[in-house]
Amino acid sequence: MIPIEELEGVQKITWCTGCGNFGIIAALKKALSELNIEHENVVVISGIGCSGKVPHYINLNAMHSLHGRAIPIATGVHAVNKDLRVIVHVGDGDTLGEGLGHFMHAARRNVRIAVFLHNNGVNGLTKGQFSPSAPRGYVSKTSPPPPGAPMNPVNPVGLAVAGGATFVARAFSGDQKMLVDIMKEAIMHEGFAFVDILQPCVTWNKDLTWAFYNKRVYSLQKENHDTSDKMKAIEKSLEFGDRIPIGVFYRETSPDLSSGLSLPKDGRLRDHMTDKRELQALIDDMVL
Amino acid sequence: MDLSFNIGGAAGQGIDTIGDLLTQVFVKAGFYTFTIKDYESRIRGGYNFTQVRVSDRPVFAPADEIDVIVALTLEGAVNPRKQLVKGGVIILDESVEIEDREPCHFSAPLEKTAKEIGGSDKMTNAAALGALLSVLNFPFSLLEESLRGIFQKKGDKVVTSNVAVAKALYDLTSEKFKGTCKTSLSSIEKGPCKDRLIMTGNTAIALGAMAANVKWASAYPMSPSTGMFQDIITNAQRLTIGALQPEDEIAAMCMAVGASYAGARSIVATSGGGFCLKVESLGLAAMTETPIVIYEAQRPGPSTGLPTRTEQGDLLFVAFASQGEFPRIMIAPKDPVEAFETAGRAFNLAEYFQVPVIIMGDQFMAESSMNIPRLDVTKIQVDRGKLEPPETQGLCLRYRLTDDGISPRSFPGDKGKIVVANGNLHFENGHITEDAGVRKAMVEKFLKKVPGIRAAMRPPTLYGKKNAKTTLLTWGSSWGAVYEAMSTLAGRHVSVNQLHYCDVYPPKTELLRDIIEKGARVISVEGNATSQFASLVRMESGLTVETHVNKYDGRPLTRGWVLSKLKEVGVA
Repeated sequence: MIPIEELEGVQKITWCTGCGNFGIIAALKKALSELNIEHENVVVISGIGCSGKVPHYINLNAMHSLHGRAIPIATGVHAVNKDLRVIVHVGDGDTLGEGLGHFMHAARRNVRIAVFLHNNGVNGLTKGQFSPSAPRGYVSKTSPPPPGAPMNPVNPVGLAVAGGATFVARAFSGDQKMLVDIMKEAIMHEGFAFVDILQPCVTWNKDLTWAFYNKRVYSLQKENHDTSDKMKAIEKSLEFGDRIPIGVFYRETSPDLSSGLSLPKDGRLRDHMTDKRELQALIDDMVL
Repeated sequence: MDLSFNIGGAAGQGIDTIGDLLTQVFVKAGFYTFTIKDYESRIRGGYNFTQVRVSDRPVFAPADEIDVIVALTLEGAVNPRKQLVKGGVIILDESVEIEDREPCHFSAPLEKTAKEIGGSDKMTNAAALGALLSVLNFPFSLLEESLRGIFQKKGDKVVTSNVAVAKALYDLTSEKFKGTCKTSLSSIEKGPCKDRLIMTGNTAIALGAMAANVKWASAYPMSPSTGMFQDIITNAQRLTIGALQPEDEIAAMCMAVGASYAGARSIVATSGGGFCLKVESLGLAAMTETPIVIYEAQRPGPSTGLPTRTEQGDLLFVAFASQGEFPRIMIAPKDPVEAFETAGRAFNLAEYFQVPVIIMGDQFMAESSMNIPRLDVTKIQVDRGKLEPPETQGLCLRYRLTDDGISPRSFPGDKGKIVVANGNLHFENGHITEDAGVRKAMVEKFLKKVPGIRAAMRPPTLYGKKNAKTTLLTWGSSWGAVYEAMSTLAGRHVSVNQLHYCDVYPPKTELLRDIIEKGARVISVEGNATSQFASLVRMESGLTVETHVNKYDGRPLTRGWVLSKLKEVGVA
């Protein structure tokens, strides 16, 4: 348990007033304060964008890294120290754009990291261009009318399920209780956990607003969705119109990446010392 | 004695294994060997060859001339024909049909005998060996002794059938080969060489990294670096090393940066094209001061270029890659012995200075092999540099400003500590800022590392006599051929020596300055078209090298080629 006051951010938050990210950081603090993890064993890896600033607004080990690359960086962190719970905070701009390949491969690898996607449909920090999750026809500075964004959005939930992620959920920044519960499960999940977090950008996105989501979101769990049914999860991921499902789409238990790596039986790989006699024996075997 | 053999045929015919066995026999018999593998970027067919050079004195480069050719295809006989010495022999498998038959040709039932006597076409290597050594009058007793030593671990049956196949071809060749071979080794005895470890640059780097306690290796397959990664991952379980082939070059590098941030020594392997993709995260490693070792085995570019060939063409690219300005270290080992030691040293330098260290190899260095003394892992020591003491608690000053620019490291998971790394401009505690004063201080932090790095770089090595009239300037894998050429010239009383760099960036230039100021003529010899190292030296020191010798056909330098080029510029 980490006392919530110890998680107080080091820096003053620079997000816009009313930003959906406030709900995410509040939920993260609450989730961590309720989980049984040592403070030093939590790491946040963030990408670049408004979501990338999470490490500065919560007191945790962190790397504020590159646009689209947080997932492979987090994979390296996890592999060499399995005691760490590695949380990735990224945006739709970075992870569904440059990072989409890494996202898919991390899912099939089932690497034990929790990816929290701050999804607002725009590249906010670069001042409002359409992101890979913007709907077709979305009008922005780089997708002027007609026709607006000339392509359909990425379906991150569907891709995660199809790709092999073993915990897939969608949450809404405006539903704190559900967001906290989902974050807790994702952080403790023994495999690749992905949470698509709907999060209005109040400055740039005039379509995907608080009102838009409040009117449409509904809980999958309240409708007794079967989270072990992969096809059902994919089907639900395609529902994004008058009704938008939130909650857990899919969960399963299967071997994670680390079980296929040559990690020490006990302890952390980072502390392991190679047996030099073993290496010398290997060399001596090569001598003719 | 200085003999060379060319085993040629199509990809997939086992050219490599014939060459390997031939090398092993001579190593076992006490000789120095140098073996290169020349192959096309295809899985089957084409023309591939292995060239084995054998001598009773150390040899460091491929040969210009061939004494005996073994051909499993027509190309194997025709392509190296012009390199064959007068009085050389071409042994062809009897399946090869050749129209212009010459007295030096000898058709032998290599594959047929392998199948009939050895029971498998895999024994073709023993058959080829028997024929080749028979042509040379190499004593069969010595061949048999070597074969027994090589195969003893595999059991009696393997020993017996290899010896039987070799013997069959040896006898058949003695009986049927009516041509002449200029070389006879009939009176040969055991050679003087005690070095029994046949080693490539790739494997030596892997072993050096493992001796240096590398705990994370990630790489995407890319010739010619792949062998290094394969050597690590093959032994990952035995030595407990995290190793993974991820989806791409970018992920490989990002994983290694993450692993290093979390406290493990990490390495990636790639070639120039992969390094292009890694440049983004090279910058991240630099900005976050995360130590990383990158093995860049060069091949001719740009783009895919010549994927299985060699060049020293990426030096300036690697020296300047990434936006922004930051310190880095580049080391270019000349041979497997130096590669082993360099790989060990690279991790210490990376962790001490908290900068990227790039090991500059190339296809020639990576995949050519020579027999070297047993590598001693105790020679590689681990120094992890400045670490934050356990007493420090809470948010660490990961980027604390110090006199030498180096801040103590700590890792996520360290008891009671919080460690923040940041690819954005950051305060000493790692948190983000855009402050002009902090920017200036953090840039100066980088600059402060440079004198320490310069001091840690090894000076170049001078080979040959001091105060020669001509100095040949080389770096990395060009050493061997130039050293042999220099030695040949020195033997002819030409006043020439060689100044060779392993630590290429930042280069130590005092000795070079001294040589130039004393009036020597300096000639750079590089495996590229634009004399990149000479340019780098000029940029770093203002010293100008006036004469350049360049090889950029994708093939390694040889003594003969260097001599002919030096003659063109008046050194002979």
